[in-house]
Amino acid sequence: MEQIMEYLPFLIPLLAVEMILAAAALVHVLKHKNYRFGNRAMWVAIVLLVEIIGPILYFTMGRSDD
Amino acid sequence: MNILTLEHVKKQFGGLKVLNDLTFSVPEHSVFGFIGKNGAGKTTAMKLILGLLNASGGTITVCGEEVCFGDTKTNRYVGYLPDVPEFYGYMTPREYLRLCGEVTGMSAGRIRERSAELLELVGLEDANRRIHGFSRGMRQRLGIAQALLNEPRLLICDEPTSALDPVGRREVLGILSAVRERTTVVFSTHILADVERVCDRIGVLDGGKLTLCGELAELKNSYRRDAVRMEFDMTEAQTAALCEKLRRLPFIHRSECDGRTVTAHLSSYREDGRELLAFLADQQAAVLKYEVMEPALENLFLEAVK
Amino acid sequence: MKGYHAFVKKEWMESLRTYRALLLPAVFFLFGMMSPLAAKLMPDIFSGMNMEGVTITVPTPTAIDAYAQLFKNLTQMGIVVLLLVFSGMLSGEIAKGTLIPILTKGLSRNTVILAKYTVSLALWTVSLAVSCASAYGYTSYLFRNAQVEHLLFSVFCLWLFGALLLAFILLAGALVRGGFGGLILTAAFIGILLLANLFPAAEKWNPVSLAAKNMQIIAGTVAVGAMMPAVCLTLAAAVLCLVLSMAVFRKTIL
Repeated sequence: MEQIMEYLPFLIPLLAVEMILAAAALVHVLKHKNYRFGNRAMWVAIVLLVEIIGPILYFTMGRSDD
Repeated sequence: MNILTLEHVKKQFGGLKVLNDLTFSVPEHSVFGFIGKNGAGKTTAMKLILGLLNASGGTITVCGEEVCFGDTKTNRYVGYLPDVPEFYGYMTPREYLRLCGEVTGMSAGRIRERSAELLELVGLEDANRRIHGFSRGMRQRLGIAQALLNEPRLLICDEPTSALDPVGRREVLGILSAVRERTTVVFSTHILADVERVCDRIGVLDGGKLTLCGELAELKNSYRRDAVRMEFDMTEAQTAALCEKLRRLPFIHRSECDGRTVTAHLSSYREDGRELLAFLADQQAAVLKYEVMEPALENLFLEAVK
Repeated sequence: MKGYHAFVKKEWMESLRTYRALLLPAVFFLFGMMSPLAAKLMPDIFSGMNMEGVTITVPTPTAIDAYAQLFKNLTQMGIVVLLLVFSGMLSGEIAKGTLIPILTKGLSRNTVILAKYTVSLALWTVSLAVSCASAYGYTSYLFRNAQVEHLLFSVFCLWLFGALLLAFILLAGALVRGGFGGLILTAAFIGILLLANLFPAAEKWNPVSLAAKNMQIIAGTVAVGAMMPAVCLTLAAAVLCLVLSMAVFRKTIL
């Protein structure tokens, strides 16, 4: 318990950033029909399950230009 | 005054000569139809006028200023609608028009005013969503709005109607002829019906040159192949006999018979038309229909690209 | 000037709406936060591994180790993220043809390059600043004696290297056709710089040392003065890339 308290200043921002990225990516995935590759189910899974890297991958590689 | 002049313009891509000594000019306040087969070089010519491509030779002037490749100064007089216009999908039409207006240095108030006006003109006034969801036709309409935003003196449209449904096509043609009061329009197409509807001047591009250029009405006149089509209230045999007689007349160099219809080609209708009528009266032919044939644009075009 | 202002606004809107402006600072913030934490937890991680009687003794980590982690992350993952995010900024637009309506409105091509450079450099600057600020904050929280020498200079070196890469991305985008052409050429550029480091004579001048010697600068084993040739060369190269990209882009067929 003590250890968790010690790392709270890390966990809170970490979770916050993770959640913001995942939420932004999820909204984008659901609002668009076309991706550079892959389909919606794949990108939802990647965005939600692969923490941090998932949304980055989506925004840099998966998002279609339009 | 000529708003656009091309003199001996040449363009080749590698060994492929696309334009080969292209010369023509477009006077102010006309609608110039740029006609040619697919791949004749219409888009290339337009990109040269816009300075998006480097001409292999010749000069192009817009409003008296020479166009240089990569230098977009003359484009301040020009509005351009590409054949497939591409926009920033993350913007709304209003935001896009604001960007276009700011780029040309219009004031914020003027941009708002013009955007509202143009979006209404092209029927996008209620489209407040982002452009990425737009259909091809909606993009084409937005393309027209952006091309007209800064009140260009010369509007260049690359096949503005080819992607549209009949209703959209009618509307776009309507817009093009409506703006002729204020600007000069050059548009390329391979749809001859569109040309007949709005153009007053045409140029036919074939083999890298203009093979036909001028005012549409004049061209039609000069290309008139004087011909008369007659339909008779007689049996087919009688009609054929009459056709035979017609053929023997000195001023008719050809006549064709098809059922009860005879088409006679004259050297000159103005001179010999009366004699033809006199001959018909003399023969007591029962004429149902008598028609001096207009040259169709299609025939003009086919002749020009032969 | 009006055109520049308008196009900067467009680039900024693009950064926001394509989430670039969110993604880059967020990722760099995480780098800044995770690095000191990883350094701090290193002994615990090793002691947690029970390896058949073999005991690995890890020296108690210090602030230097925290920054070592930070620069390792920034110079590897950070640069990769920077490339991924910005590699298409010019080549993508050329490939799609979105510049044609804007350029035929009379915007000069130089303005396009300058506006793109301005916004991408601003975003890189902010992201790097966020990263270093969070690293500094968390290092101070976790370690006593968090002060290190020449931290700002070391970060500046990395920033300058990023600035060169951004300028090169624009040049590559003007040179190569296709959406991914710019990315490949820029990756090749970094590869060549890394190879050049095989020649000891080149190392002193090589821009890539700005992203390789950051730890030595902090540890004090490389003097600030020793970095100056590379700093000057990188600065000159960035300006050259920018000027070249404008010259090439003027003659690019769209």
